[in-house]
Amino acid sequence: MSLKRFIRQCAGAAVLAGACALAPAHNFHAAITDISYNERTGSLEVVHTYMAHDVEALLTNLYQRQFDLSDPDDQAVFRKYVEKQFWLADKDKRRLPLNWVGMTADAQNVMVFQEVLQTPSAKVEFIHDAVLTDFMPDQLNTVNLTVAGSLRTFGFSSSHTEFSVH
Amino acid sequence: MRLRVLPCALAALFSHTLAQADDFVIQRVLVEGARASQLGIADSANAGSVSQKELEMRTIYRPGELLEAAPGLIASQHSGEGKANQFYLRGFNLDHGTDLATWIDEMPVNQRSHAHGQGWTDLNFLIPELTARLDYRKGPYSAREGDFASAGSASITYANRLVRDVATLSVGQNGYARTALAASKDALGGALTYALELLHNDGPYTHPDDYQKVNGVLRYSRGYANNGWSVTAMAYHGRWNSTDQIPERAVDEGRLGRFDAIDDSDGGEARRYSLSGVWRQTTADSASKVSAYLIRNQLDLWSNFTYFMNDPVHGDQFAQPDRRVTSGVNALHTWHAHRGDTVTSDLSVGLQAQNDNIFNGLLHTQARQTLDVTRQDHIVETSRAAWIESATRWGESFRSIVGLRADGYRFRVRSDLTSARASASDTLLSPSLNLVFGPWKSSELYLNYGQGFHSNDARGAVTSSEPLVRSRGMEIGLRTEAIPKMQTALSLYRLDFDSELSYVGDEGTTEAGSPSRRIGIEFSNYYKPVKWLAIDFDAAFARARSREVEAGQDRIPGAVEGVGQLAVTASQLGRNGAWEGALRLRYFGPRPLVEDNSVRSHASTTLNGRIGYRIAKDLRLELEGFNLANKRVSSIDYYYASQLRGELEPREDIHFHPLESRSFRLTLIKNW
Repeated sequence: MSLKRFIRQCAGAAVLAGACALAPAHNFHAAITDISYNERTGSLEVVHTYMAHDVEALLTNLYQRQFDLSDPDDQAVFRKYVEKQFWLADKDKRRLPLNWVGMTADAQNVMVFQEVLQTPSAKVEFIHDAVLTDFMPDQLNTVNLTVAGSLRTFGFSSSHTEFSVH
Repeated sequence: MRLRVLPCALAALFSHTLAQADDFVIQRVLVEGARASQLGIADSANAGSVSQKELEMRTIYRPGELLEAAPGLIASQHSGEGKANQFYLRGFNLDHGTDLATWIDEMPVNQRSHAHGQGWTDLNFLIPELTARLDYRKGPYSAREGDFASAGSASITYANRLVRDVATLSVGQNGYARTALAASKDALGGALTYALELLHNDGPYTHPDDYQKVNGVLRYSRGYANNGWSVTAMAYHGRWNSTDQIPERAVDEGRLGRFDAIDDSDGGEARRYSLSGVWRQTTADSASKVSAYLIRNQLDLWSNFTYFMNDPVHGDQFAQPDRRVTSGVNALHTWHAHRGDTVTSDLSVGLQAQNDNIFNGLLHTQARQTLDVTRQDHIVETSRAAWIESATRWGESFRSIVGLRADGYRFRVRSDLTSARASASDTLLSPSLNLVFGPWKSSELYLNYGQGFHSNDARGAVTSSEPLVRSRGMEIGLRTEAIPKMQTALSLYRLDFDSELSYVGDEGTTEAGSPSRRIGIEFSNYYKPVKWLAIDFDAAFARARSREVEAGQDRIPGAVEGVGQLAVTASQLGRNGAWEGALRLRYFGPRPLVEDNSVRSHASTTLNGRIGYRIAKDLRLELEGFNLANKRVSSIDYYYASQLRGELEPREDIHFHPLESRSFRLTLIKNW
């Protein structure tokens, strides 16, 4: 792992952790998405980190029932939602085929792993991220895109759900 | 792809404070497959929430038994299957729902001033496939709850949209057949959810119940539950024959079999139609909810509990028709405030209004044909309530919930026979206080005090009895998860009523009686040692006594003294995790049947179970078994006088309704 990547992930974790710590004072809703090219596999990797409580609240308010995010059936429900709300597209606005790799959940965070096979970061021209912003008006999603070693950061909100990379 | 654990681990390292819920009413969702913890959420040790998955794993003979998911609650039946259930909780014989407030989707189920019994709770329109959760609490400790909620309340939520559509087909012994379809689809920018249920059941009775049910729900919703709205239409129609309770002497003498009926023309027909809507808006600092409902209920009920005692020629059958329109609105608003990093407070205010326009009566009949009219009334019962509640989190280890509720009732009764009019009104203030101490990592101690009430039947309220009857409850409770994988709750409570509502078996009505006191203890455990296995063990004991009565006459007929259940539920068994199963042992304790305790009903222990097998990803087969040990026990016992044809005079006796004999049902469930 490069130093830059490590610093970025630390920063991302700190933002999320800060959000958690601040929560009792003001409920702050944030998510981090990290998009980068993995040279070893040749794939574009996407890692989303959501606050578990936000995902819980979302699913409970969609279906009124409790969810167990360790249950594959219940994971499929969140997957369906994420795949509808988050996508990447090329310059012709054709969506890149994002494969669902898996997800993990603990008491603090829900992490979602996606990938686009054999695709460099430079292929990404449009990012659409409306995960949780349709549910909570103050939700802020930070997307970090690494292209050719340089990092670009985009802030998504309920009023800004799509960005052109260039 | 590598799973990147570092950001997650770092986040966990940095974040030592759990996020608070924006929406204060939602439950925490699970990540370990266990029951949602109520620590930090519930206001008392007795309150809880049962998830859809837990409800699905229960073996239920009838829809009302879903309420038995609340520890200590028993739902039984003393008549035809279409009739409202008979409920027991916290040392109460709740008859058909007195002192147990039940809500489905923000609509009250209890029918006040009902022809047959105060607070009539007919849950036959409940469709389990739509049920997303069941929330319950016991005792009069919440300003949000009013009439009938002193022993407890249960609230069932239907899903706005289903994760997966479902179709089921069931067949079983004793003429049982059921099919149900529940589905939802995106439409017009929202979700359209619908369900249809058809059911037939005869039961084990010599004269079959021939219970026929048609039941449907149609709902349109937009947005999320906490930021959106829904409109729902429901329609239910059921008709049935009743095998009412029979005297023990007739069975002992061989004149009747245990499943025989005395009057073949007993039975009923019920219709329920409703239109309701819910709107909610939630922001980081506030939450609002408004719900409104319009319910049309119709019941025709023919019963005969004393046979030929009052009329040796025509018999004692009576009809209790009840037709009503219930309309109401509930509104609440919550402000979320915080001071510093540790003190947060939710201030909630609510308004409730309900009107019942009722035509009901009591008629003497023979084979459902009217002989004479005992009484026939037009009742208009109107209530309104306002409440305020302050829930404050004073740091990590102490919470308080303080509430005050004001209720006003107006009863107007016009007799159709004499054209006499009478009216009454009453108001009541009900304070409540809940203190929650949690200085420990995984335990909370609760102190609860509250006043509640139940309304009396309007026909009594305008003449003699007190319209609104005060209850006072206090409780000390402990909830702990100190033992890993185990949730335990212990409650010690006292509940006083200024006047007891008790069932009069030979008249089929409830009447206001003397004051009462109940002291009880409840012990509830849920243990999930491994992901595939869950064990429930609940036990509840209660001592119920009338007060201000003659010495030796202080027992309350039907008041249950002990209830318990032990359930073992296993899932994801076998290859591919295709098998699941559950066994549930239910103990229904003894009850005094008369005031001097000289006649008592026996305790009973029954066993139900189910086995499920997943044939394919979206196809399951289930076998449910009821009363597996085929126990010859009673669902309910009464003690009163009756006279059979051929008997020269009335005889006091135990009258019982048998628990259904062992039976099995096979169900095919298709999801898509």
